[in-house]
Amino acid sequence: MEKTEIQERVVKILTPYVKDQGALANVSAATNILEDLKVNSARLVDVVLAFEDEFDIEIADEDVDVVNTVGDCVGLIADKL
Amino acid sequence: MNDEAKVALVTGAGTGIGAACARALADEGFRVAVHYRSSDVKAKELAEKLPGAFTLQADITEPEEVDALLVELKEKAGRLDVLVNNAGTNRNGPMASMKIDDYDAVAAVTRGTWYLTKRVIRRFMLRQKSGRIISITSVVGHTGNRGQSVYTMMKAGLDAMTKSLAQELAGRPILVNSVAPGFIATEMTEELPDEIRQGILDKIPQGRMGEPEEVADAVAWLATRASYVNGSVLHVNGGMYGG
Repeated sequence: MEKTEIQERVVKILTPYVKDQGALANVSAATNILEDLKVNSARLVDVVLAFEDEFDIEIADEDVDVVNTVGDCVGLIADKL
Repeated sequence: MNDEAKVALVTGAGTGIGAACARALADEGFRVAVHYRSSDVKAKELAEKLPGAFTLQADITEPEEVDALLVELKEKAGRLDVLVNNAGTNRNGPMASMKIDDYDAVAAVTRGTWYLTKRVIRRFMLRQKSGRIISITSVVGHTGNRGQSVYTMMKAGLDAMTKSLAQELAGRPILVNSVAPGFIATEMTEELPDEIRQGILDKIPQGRMGEPEEVADAVAWLATRASYVNGSVLHVNGGMYGG
């Protein structure tokens, strides 16, 4: 799967949790999920579960610790596909 | 037992309060996963008597064994609706003469319970968007008890975990509670000398020890009909302490 397609699906999953919807207009690999998109950190576990279901992968707790940006998500998912 | 039956995991279910909880939940229609560490004969005998029940062996102080237990649970039952954190251990003695190994032995089970609970939430309950988590704690976690500095500390800590987790999961249909038994008639209390036993009875307004089934009744209620009880400690102690 191409990374561009993964990123589109990642952003689609993130969208319901994004508090600053305006930030979605300029989303890129460098966009920080908590700081730029203002996703509530308590909802990250829901995002991770959605990634697992969408891509049929398993994400370890330790993997989540190093995910900060949209690009981090894409890279993590791409490594597991 | 149909394939759609809800599933309950009871840790330390081979004997005593854990076994009573397994029976009570089976009576409520749950398919019960009977966890044990070393009581294999009793756990297997129990599971054979409960419709759809099965055993799971693991030392929950080892995270790898917890992970393997949950994989096996997923394979055998596919879901988990109720977790009863009953497994525990005890090292008693005057605090000044206890060893750090005593502390570590009791704390390891609390640590394992925390890890199991977190994995159950992540792997089952958040995805299923439902669940009940019930931890068996103790009245002495609230009152203190001579010779039980570590045990009381760990049980109080589990009650605190219950309250914190209930707040963390607020807004989700996952309810988290504790049941804190008082003195319950088990194999352990049967071995007590008469004078100690009488000393315990003198503290209980109802004048008798509780039965494991009376604790299990509270667990079964929290697991099924209690829909607006969350982050609570339900005391089951014959009136000796009300919270």
